[in-house]
Amino acid sequence: MNEVLTGLSGGFGVALMPLNLLLVLIGCFAGTLIGALPGIGPINGVAILLPIAYSMGLPPESALILLAGIYYGAEYGGRISSILLNVPGDAGAVMTTLDGNPMAKRGEAGRALSISAVASFVGGTIAVILMSLFGPFLAKFALTFTPADYVALMVFAFASLSSLVGKNQVKTLMGAAIGLMLATVGIDANTGVPRYTGGIPDILAGFDFLVVVIGFFGMAELIHLVEQQVSGKLKLLPIGKSFVTWKDLMQIRWTMLRSSIIGFIIGVLPGVGASVASAVTYGTEMRMAGEDRKKFGTGDPRGLAAPEAGNNAAAGGAMVPMLTLGIPGSGTTAILLGALMLFNVTPGPMMFEQRPEIAWGLIASMYIGNLALLVINLPLVGLFARMLTIPQKYLSPLIAVLAFIGVYSVVGNPFDLLLIIGFGIFGWILRKLEFSLAPIILGFVLGHLFEDNLRRALSISRGDWSILISSWESIGLYVMAVLIVILPVLVSYRNKRKA
Amino acid sequence: MADRLFALCALIAGGIYTYVAFAVIKAPFQYDPLGPETWPQVLAIVFLLCSLYILVRPDPIRLALARSVWLRLLILVFMLLGYAELYEPLGFVVSTALFCSLFSVMLGANRLHAIAFGCATGIIGYGICDFLLGLNLPEGLLAPLL
Repeated sequence: MNEVLTGLSGGFGVALMPLNLLLVLIGCFAGTLIGALPGIGPINGVAILLPIAYSMGLPPESALILLAGIYYGAEYGGRISSILLNVPGDAGAVMTTLDGNPMAKRGEAGRALSISAVASFVGGTIAVILMSLFGPFLAKFALTFTPADYVALMVFAFASLSSLVGKNQVKTLMGAAIGLMLATVGIDANTGVPRYTGGIPDILAGFDFLVVVIGFFGMAELIHLVEQQVSGKLKLLPIGKSFVTWKDLMQIRWTMLRSSIIGFIIGVLPGVGASVASAVTYGTEMRMAGEDRKKFGTGDPRGLAAPEAGNNAAAGGAMVPMLTLGIPGSGTTAILLGALMLFNVTPGPMMFEQRPEIAWGLIASMYIGNLALLVINLPLVGLFARMLTIPQKYLSPLIAVLAFIGVYSVVGNPFDLLLIIGFGIFGWILRKLEFSLAPIILGFVLGHLFEDNLRRALSISRGDWSILISSWESIGLYVMAVLIVILPVLVSYRNKRKA
Repeated sequence: MADRLFALCALIAGGIYTYVAFAVIKAPFQYDPLGPETWPQVLAIVFLLCSLYILVRPDPIRLALARSVWLRLLILVFMLLGYAELYEPLGFVVSTALFCSLFSVMLGANRLHAIAFGCATGIIGYGICDFLLGLNLPEGLLAPLL
């Protein structure tokens, strides 16, 4: 406990430095703006702005504070386009439209926006409190992990990813495989043998992380937006004067608490993030409502509070495995993890001890950021809603310009501009075929870690594969991996037999 | 149908990846039990199994896009390629102004507005990135002026 307090006070020392405080505020503000844009979610926002944050020459903790602010700010802002336009910014905001948009249609958009702002605040804050309590302990536990245990952890991460993310499990697994395969391109660090480079000098060092991220989450999104744009007109609902009341808050207090805790736990699971959390919390609240469940989907405050608390808590929870194990808990944290690697910081259990200014500084900045988000979101929601009126015909070109600036200013090679277009087209095709893109980036980020740990484990055992199941930690992880794949199948089988 | 076609392409690409993993990648000498080829071999097998599954049990997805949408997406890709090719020769300001004007015209903006928008993005964008953020952007044609 003492350790947590010392860590936190050090963290606040970092987070309250004028530069970092300013960056938290800028990050939260910019994040909310980006999240409010229709069709652009946290993962696209972080992807597009990452290279710019990187090339500004900030120290790593400041850059991470800025990017994390954009991340949870966008999680916060996503509700605005869900409620007022019925267009979710990303998969995590889909559930918010179910009850948020009906409320806005009834003329209660102001109430819906303020209820969801409070729910987001509660979810985010509970998540960061749980994170500061459990993070350091998990990190300590992870210090004892051997390479073989890491291999087991990776298997668990990909098992939970393919079991819980996306409509088609095989496609999720295939997406992860595509990411892992993209990571094998380039010179093998252990032996110096080039793999899959095809003699092209530009990719001898492998695909640059930024190029892959911007391709799949900037360019693919742009193509998708342009495709959507021709399809039809969107109707923006007015905000009006209604506001959250004390009665509303009392009605949803347990909903917020339950959803925050469920959301946090789902967020901590490696690979699984906000979209699963908001779906599970919405379903739970509906089941708990009993006779009242018919009101869900018609503008019930509980149906709005549950996914908002859940997805913000999951955004915080997803940071836990990233900071303590070096394994991202969601697609967006995979990008943050890659950002840390750009700064030559290796995320993992050592970070709490060796780089406390990053681990604790980030956690402390999230306390400040959540509070700041609540404060700027209640009065300024009208300003953010104006973002929805920016015509797509000007917005779409700007996305391309930002993506080009980002890639060129960091890598400085025009060949990479062609690469991001190629990855963008590929990503758009995958999206059309109902692949989820987050597994690709998780696979790409974890590729080297997975391979290196496997090779290290086997060189420790001199080629004996039984080392992979030689410790209780790894056996436990394999059992969990099997369970997480089998349980949903069993549950759906049982439900089918009941029905 | 779209899924089947994709699975076929994936099998071909995966087949090439697999061939390279099993036949081409070789370390001249190695100390470790696992060489550079083992990991790609594992991935290749997983990928091929996934492709086969999709080939056998595809999702019912139809890429039903209107011809005008396809046409616009094709134009978009060509504009992006042109932007990338001209980025260094013309420089950020000129290439961005051109790209943004043409792009917004394609999305239905009035020509005068589009040109104003394009020029503003090029000039203001360069100003913010170069002077305020200190990012490195190509100067191109306007090098003598900047």
